[in-house]
Amino acid sequence: MSHSSDHERKRILHASQLAKRVTSGERELVILESLTLDVDCGESVAIVGSSGAGKSTLLGLLAGLDAPSSGELQMFGQSLSDLDEDGRAALRAGRVGFVFQNFQLLPTLTALENVMLPLELSPRQDVAAKSRQWLERVGLGERLDHLPKQLSGGEQQRVAVARAFVADPDLVFADEPTGNLDEATGSRIIDLLFDLNRESGTTLILVTHDMALATRCDRCLRLEGGALTAIERRRGVEA
Amino acid sequence: MKLIALSLKGLRRDLRAADVRALFVALALAVAATTMIGFFLDRLDRGLTRQAGQLLGGDLVLEQGRAFDDELRQELRRAGLELSDQVDLVSMVSQGDAFQPAGLKVVDDHYPLYGKVRVDRGSGVEGVDHGPAPGSAWIAPRLAQLLDAGIGDRVQVGALSLTITGLIDREPDQQAGFAGLTPRIMLNIQDLEATELVRPGSRIEYELLAAGPPAAIDGLAARLEALRDAGVEIRDVRVDRPSLGRSLDRAQKYLSLAGLAAVLLAGVAVAMATRRYVDRHLDTAALLRCFGASQRQLGQLFAWQLAWLGVVAAAVGALLGLAGQAVLLALLTRFLPLELPPPGGMPWLMGVLTALAVLVGFAGPTLLRLKRVSALKVLRRELDPIPAAGWLVVAFASLVFGALLWLYSGDPVLALGILLGGLVALVVLWGVGQAMLQLLLAVLARLPQGGQKGRAWQLGGRQLARRRTASLGQLLAFSVTFAAMAIIALVRGDLLTTWQAQLPVDTPNYFAINIQPQERAGVETLIEDAADSASGLYPMVRGRLTAIDGEPPAQRVPEESRNDGALRRDLNLTWRAALPEGNRITEGRWFDTDVASGDGTVPISVEEELAGRLGLSLGDEMTFTIGSDSITGRITSLRHLDWESFQPNFFIIFPPGALEGFGHSYITSFHLPDGGNQMLGEMVQRYPGVSVLNVEALLEQVRGILGQVTRAIEFVLGFVLLAGVSVLYAALTASRPARAHEGALLRVFGAGNRTLSRMQLAEFALLGLVSGLLGAALAEAAALGIYGWLGLVPRMHWLMWGIMPLLGAALVGGVGFLLSRGARRQAPMASLRLLGET
Repeated sequence: MSHSSDHERKRILHASQLAKRVTSGERELVILESLTLDVDCGESVAIVGSSGAGKSTLLGLLAGLDAPSSGELQMFGQSLSDLDEDGRAALRAGRVGFVFQNFQLLPTLTALENVMLPLELSPRQDVAAKSRQWLERVGLGERLDHLPKQLSGGEQQRVAVARAFVADPDLVFADEPTGNLDEATGSRIIDLLFDLNRESGTTLILVTHDMALATRCDRCLRLEGGALTAIERRRGVEA
Repeated sequence: MKLIALSLKGLRRDLRAADVRALFVALALAVAATTMIGFFLDRLDRGLTRQAGQLLGGDLVLEQGRAFDDELRQELRRAGLELSDQVDLVSMVSQGDAFQPAGLKVVDDHYPLYGKVRVDRGSGVEGVDHGPAPGSAWIAPRLAQLLDAGIGDRVQVGALSLTITGLIDREPDQQAGFAGLTPRIMLNIQDLEATELVRPGSRIEYELLAAGPPAAIDGLAARLEALRDAGVEIRDVRVDRPSLGRSLDRAQKYLSLAGLAAVLLAGVAVAMATRRYVDRHLDTAALLRCFGASQRQLGQLFAWQLAWLGVVAAAVGALLGLAGQAVLLALLTRFLPLELPPPGGMPWLMGVLTALAVLVGFAGPTLLRLKRVSALKVLRRELDPIPAAGWLVVAFASLVFGALLWLYSGDPVLALGILLGGLVALVVLWGVGQAMLQLLLAVLARLPQGGQKGRAWQLGGRQLARRRTASLGQLLAFSVTFAAMAIIALVRGDLLTTWQAQLPVDTPNYFAINIQPQERAGVETLIEDAADSASGLYPMVRGRLTAIDGEPPAQRVPEESRNDGALRRDLNLTWRAALPEGNRITEGRWFDTDVASGDGTVPISVEEELAGRLGLSLGDEMTFTIGSDSITGRITSLRHLDWESFQPNFFIIFPPGALEGFGHSYITSFHLPDGGNQMLGEMVQRYPGVSVLNVEALLEQVRGILGQVTRAIEFVLGFVLLAGVSVLYAALTASRPARAHEGALLRVFGAGNRTLSRMQLAEFALLGLVSGLLGAALAEAAALGIYGWLGLVPRMHWLMWGIMPLLGAALVGGVGFLLSRGARRQAPMASLRLLGET
């Protein structure tokens, strides 16, 4: 599955008229409504909003973890509405990385094994070596055999970051990556995330309520009342 | 009080949780199994005693050469016993010109105390609960044949003429002994005097048969002892149970074993379910701590919750047990007497006690974790209290299980032995399990990356091995479960095989005794022509043991054996060159020389139980008085023999050449197919001195009991298997959240449904495979000990080694796959969100 044309290469994600409604009891709850978004290759996009605005839901939809109630979504030029759960998973395999607010490491696996996991889904030989390299890159070369509970929150998130990048993805989603960390640790994780993003030329879509973090992205969007509005700000020089 | 109300409320909300359901099912099954088996064994025991009582004629039988006095009768009645008088003697009876020796059985109006006499009074065989009326006699068909008499004819007994009013088909108290070998004639005790057979010097046995509760008999112990010393022969049904008791003894032990296996399995299930229960309630506990609940209150709250659960489960289980024993009883109605007292209270009590013990033992230490939870966990999710150490949980559970073992078996040494053996096995299993998981990882690392299918399987295996502690815990639980299930199934199979082998279709149904040496060839030919199997003829010499190592036996034997029957009556001795079929040497060597060993003494082989009772060992010398002579032999071997084989069995065997000089007769047993009766008539006519004893009725009874007990055993086996499945359910439910988390993550990483399914199937199947293998090893090791205890011959079960891993893989794979189906169907977003909240 290689990138076939320049146009597709440029536009990595396209969403139009995206909506998500859930029924709770007898009431229908509208979370997202007629939402449109285009993300280009190599871009970094921040989506901000107050809690309950539906940020995580949007991220889930964009990543194909959940199906929209209506609307069209394309990832890597492929329409997701044509695909079932398995098809969407296959599209993600090896091309999409994730960083979660609560890390989502498997508690019974060592740091190394956690990083290896996404690689083991695709046919590769260098799984262990590659994972080790990435853990070294995030500064955890000495902690390969530690279980998550033996690591601090920041270290756990670094494992998660290594795991997100280990498969050389085209697209990385991050859901409040610093939400569970103190400020200093959080900013170190952010530095790491942006460094890796730049070095590997990955597209980054980030959901946060932290404006300081959002401003480091190329583009910043606000989610409000189920729709996106652009916040016109250029990215700072330091990133 | 508030806590109690709160705990009830919490439990009600919890009822839908899979772990609470698993706890409930496991506890209810444990109680159901124990109460069912408890009720059943209680009744079986009483049934057996009745059965034995019936064969003996009463619970207690007193016998002496003169009439019993009224004073003794009154004393026995006062103690709560029902009495019946019986007189046995041998006399000639005649009809016209025909004379025949016959065994007279003179009975009173209370006869029979147990069971019914089956008699043909002209309108077919029927069961009646009385003997013949005064003036009439019932006779055995063989006697009728010999006398050429039938119903309505008159028969002369001594000075009295009686009318034959019935042909005896079966007496309830028909013993397999050789006392009443002459054909039977039964008459009323009121006619005894008129026969004028009771005269000074005549050989008459007076029997006083008594029926009543064991307590009544126990209360008479001192009096009975005094009677024994005065020369009265006393048989107590509980001591002198007939030989068929041995098979049932095994069956009882088997049922106890199955009950304990069910308890152990339920305990494992409870332990697994409790872990999940505690994990699930950590947040609640932390929140309650925040609200100001003390550790004590927390502990009490959750303890109450589980206690309610335990009580309800115990009640449901006990009702199930009651229903179960009714089914068991229905399976055994033909054999158990119908008028049984209602189920006792003891099994109920034991059931509830078992439930609480299992709960405390297998859930207690794990539950303690809840009260140690920190209030800060509300803020910092990762602040989980450390789980109780694995060894502590196992040690505490073992302690409680050991206590239950003790309670059920009443044997502290056995309980301790099983417990220590079990713990050693667990430690070994732990080590082996760990090594196997390591090995699995190493093997998978070396395997080439296959296609997508292969990768899913490899990933499943890897995940299993990587989960380490959790996998090891499950591995141990499943191994123990499979082992327990396998043992119960194996023992069942081997018990049944042993029973079937013991009583094959051609098991002898007739014994012929008193065959004189000159009749030997003729009798042998007759039997060979008509019978489809025969034991061959054994010579028989009757001799009394008069010295052991030159001393009077009473001084040599252990004190409790001084009144042993073997010292008081003649023993049957035989000689034989080869070890009889069905006998097994347990100590020493079978003599291979004919008579004298080096120093001129005769080698003899002694039955091991007799040797044990009389305190005899290899090298001891036994002297027997035969007529006016005596012979001394030195014990060179001890033998185990099967008393239930319906073959001639001998306590003492001499080598050929030692006993031939003494007066002897021959004994044989053979199986006569239906319609072979003609041969019996011929034998009786040609060799009137030979006595033929029909043991078909006894044989049928034994077969019937075994058949029914077999069904009962299969029913109980079903229960154990059910308990095993409850373990699977509890364990797999407990691990479901972790697997769902992993599945959701893998989905995020791009694993499709098919990959996930394959991966999980691989993981479960591998887990089952390895558990099956370890379970087979554990079962084989445990079988060594258990078979010895049950008196079965240990053997390797190769088939099990093949079947168990496959069955384990299918069972764990199937159940696990089904249970995790829901998690696979969820959209990854939903699973991840769900996990974020736990």
